[in-house]
Amino acid sequence: MRDGTADGGGAPAPDPDRQAGYLDLLRAVGYREYLLFVRYPADAVGGIVVSLIFFGLLFFGGRAIAGQALTDEIEGIVVGYFLWTLSVGAYSSISNDIGSEVQWGTLERHFMTPFGFAPVAFAKGVAKVVRTFLISVVILAVMLVVTGTTLQLDLLTITVVAVLAVCSVLGLGFAAGGVAVLYKRIGSWLNLLQFGFVVLISAPAFDLGWTRLLPLVQGSALLQRAMIDGLVLWEMPLLDLSVLLGTAVGYVLAGYAVFAITTKRARRLGVLGDY
Amino acid sequence: MPAQRGREESVAREGPETTPAIVVEGLSKTFGKGESAVVAVDDVSFTVDRGSVVGLLGPNGAGKTTIIKSILGMVLPDAGTVRIDGIDVHADPRAAYRHVDAMLEGARNDYWRLTVRENLRYFATISGVKPDAVADRHERLLAQLDLAEEADTPVRELSRGMKQKVSLASVLATDADVVFLDEPTLGLDVESSRTLRRELRRIVAERNLTVVVSSHDMDVIEDVCDRVIIVGEGRIVADDTVANLLAGFDTQGYRVVSRDIDERTVGAVERAFDRVTVERDGDRTELSVETDSSGFYRLAGILERGGVTLDSVDTIEPDLEEVFLRVTGSVDDA
Repeated sequence: MRDGTADGGGAPAPDPDRQAGYLDLLRAVGYREYLLFVRYPADAVGGIVVSLIFFGLLFFGGRAIAGQALTDEIEGIVVGYFLWTLSVGAYSSISNDIGSEVQWGTLERHFMTPFGFAPVAFAKGVAKVVRTFLISVVILAVMLVVTGTTLQLDLLTITVVAVLAVCSVLGLGFAAGGVAVLYKRIGSWLNLLQFGFVVLISAPAFDLGWTRLLPLVQGSALLQRAMIDGLVLWEMPLLDLSVLLGTAVGYVLAGYAVFAITTKRARRLGVLGDY
Repeated sequence: MPAQRGREESVAREGPETTPAIVVEGLSKTFGKGESAVVAVDDVSFTVDRGSVVGLLGPNGAGKTTIIKSILGMVLPDAGTVRIDGIDVHADPRAAYRHVDAMLEGARNDYWRLTVRENLRYFATISGVKPDAVADRHERLLAQLDLAEEADTPVRELSRGMKQKVSLASVLATDADVVFLDEPTLGLDVESSRTLRRELRRIVAERNLTVVVSSHDMDVIEDVCDRVIIVGEGRIVADDTVANLLAGFDTQGYRVVSRDIDERTVGAVERAFDRVTVERDGDRTELSVETDSSGFYRLAGILERGGVTLDSVDTIEPDLEEVFLRVTGSVDDA
């Protein structure tokens, strides 16, 4: 009916066949990420190089200082660093993205969508996490070659545990994104929190019970056991998996709630989209 | 399919064939509290008929952008309701956003790293329509806005005027039948502005779009709009067609230029008429007097008695800018 011709003066009736669904939304934001990835490879390569230089400093510098002690722990460091790069990407995916959209003048268009602002922001975050996952896998491969380390790489186990671990950080990113909607220039300060992920990733989940409720902690512990000890998904204790799933869902929901509240406040203050 | 059902229900209740495209009732917004409170929108109400183009005029800080953002739900109003195509925007925003899109503050509102065509497809999807379903429209838009040759060029490589066209195209690329354009010609040169206005008018007529245009550019308002709403201090101070607004201020006037008008003659003219403007440039004096034809004979008599040799005499026709200045000036004076 609405093919670009005049429609006779009445409100147009919606045509379900023309309406995009959430799958179309995911495809659109995913395709945009793909286009930027292949069209501007220097951005991705730059990120990989910086991460590897940082890891090189950590590894070679640490070995010069700590010698064999660090070499003995190298598997844990590699797995932890892999999770850290993944977490940083997930965390910054939403908060940095909102800051960028505000500067580009495109934030309002993502607000004025029948899908809802938060679902669109989440879909964009997911697309960026997938991109980050691919980059982190490359970083992991180079780390394994450089350090001569071998790990147990059960793809299903690693993917499930890593994704659930990263979900908790995505929730934090959602909350940070919400704060960024209110206070646009706070993004760089919020990025400092990513260094706190180092603490969370290395927290002793199995020694201190309550720490496993923090973001990343349970996921980091299970990822270490999967990649170092070769533990596969169905061998993991049900309680551990439940905590992993619970923290993933809980932090995403909490982050989503913060995002919704801060967005509403930004609308009340009239600062949505203002820089 | 998000929000489709809600929209159908809302439209069914309102009766789409008879409902104006936009209904704004009692919209109010105050920022801050106490002594620092600023009333940005003060009990604004108006309707916009389907297929019409309405201009929103007002000086800086008059509340135009806040009104638009309040209508679109980006600013939460303190009071008032807004219905677009019969849908309450604040109660059911997701349903409403299937029908409305906006180009805000004349800024870039697309991705410069994507090509023109990729932008159209992306924002069509974000606005809830499958891009393949509107591919034909996209091709037509690209042709109408002279963007066909640049369709596969990243936006960042285009000129300012072209970028502005891409912004407009990406808004028109959706299924929206109500469109808000905030300063659509901001920063464009005269020729680009003229082209954009011409194409906008053509597309609006072709697709029976309902458009609200906010602009400082009077040419945009006069060229494109059927009706003008003038805003001052958050309130509507005039709301009429361009023709009626001009007719309402159709106070005839005369402009006289001479090189030998002395102060005594100028004083005599100022005493004889209520509205006189005097501009001097060296020995050249320009007297603008607001009066009718009978007053012109009195003016001519004063000048004759002063021994003035006339270089030129012109009639002054009011334009929209003058109307705007008068209307908003009267608000400032109040």
